[in-house]
Amino acid sequence: MREAAMIMTEPISGKSGNALKRLPEDEKEDSTPAPVEETELVARARRGDLKAYDELVQRYQERIYATIYHMTSNHEDANDLAQEAFIKGFQALKSFKGGSSFYTWVYRIAVNKTINFLKQRKNRSQMSLNDLDFNAEHDPDLVALVSDKTPRREAGLSELQEKLNEAMQKLSEPHRLVVTLHDVQGLSHEEIAKIMGCNVGTVRSRLFYARQQLQGFLSDYLK
Amino acid sequence: MNPDSQNFDSLRQLLALKRHEIPPPGYFDRFSRDVMARIKAGERGGAIGSELSWFQRLLSAFDVKPVFAGAFGTAVCAFLISGVISSEQTPAIGSVAPNPGNTSLATAAVPVSMSAMDEQPFAAPSNSLAGSLFDQFQLETRPVSDRFYLPNGN
Repeated sequence: MREAAMIMTEPISGKSGNALKRLPEDEKEDSTPAPVEETELVARARRGDLKAYDELVQRYQERIYATIYHMTSNHEDANDLAQEAFIKGFQALKSFKGGSSFYTWVYRIAVNKTINFLKQRKNRSQMSLNDLDFNAEHDPDLVALVSDKTPRREAGLSELQEKLNEAMQKLSEPHRLVVTLHDVQGLSHEEIAKIMGCNVGTVRSRLFYARQQLQGFLSDYLK
Repeated sequence: MNPDSQNFDSLRQLLALKRHEIPPPGYFDRFSRDVMARIKAGERGGAIGSELSWFQRLLSAFDVKPVFAGAFGTAVCAFLISGVISSEQTPAIGSVAPNPGNTSLATAAVPVSMSAMDEQPFAAPSNSLAGSLFDQFQLETRPVSDRFYLPNGN
């Protein structure tokens, strides 16, 4: 478990990723942005200060977008849903009691919106994948995976990306969400439990089942 | 059940690929601006909503509470029915007694039967317009086409 959390030590992505470096489990609580500042921003935003809310949006936009994108495998849908989640967040700020962090709260809004959207979409799953960044070609894990594990298939990164997203889309929404939040976003089980509104044991069992399923779907690429 | 106790290393290596999927360049520079613009547009929409006409406010109230719509519809129906009933009780406006000296429009309003029109389509109706206001114009009926009737008898 500890090892699992230690593996991912780079920021999730971009400027706001600096606030959420992947750290060992016992240091995870420190990874959230300074709570006082966030509390103040939330208080100002509740009074209608759009600049304060803009600051909050900029702080979490990449993580929210990424979660939705990994859930939908569609950039346009992720863009719409992420925007709607932040708009809903602003409209519902008055109901935010401060029991959890703003980040967890807005995450929950985004996740609920995404799951509702996916339930409605059901059979209309058209992927619209983002490009891989330049670093992907130099990521030692991925280079090893492509050259060692799938040499005879000559699978490029783009093919792997497509197959991976297809496999992700085969998972049920709760299982996909757990894999996304834990293995891609690097959140702890406890944070995922808060976001999903379930207990940690459920998160663990869903993660196990989802990984097993993914391993089956991607067996050709994991030999 | 510990999900990390199994050997999922290869899978997690592969899942790392997803972290390299990035939206188009400059996307996040525009994102918060778009969100703010939509929030402001929504607020403006709310402000405009407060300046709606009474009719639009009424319609929006109907949207929120259908009971209002039902009550309003019932009231309108009751008003119409009471109007119809009260109009039947008052004397009809058009029922003026015929007066020989005053051949009014009431006389002209007598409908000409369609069968009579069929028999003599171009003949002036007997009595119907006699002494009416139309007399002063010396109404003359002529066929539309010479093929059927020629005035010089040819």
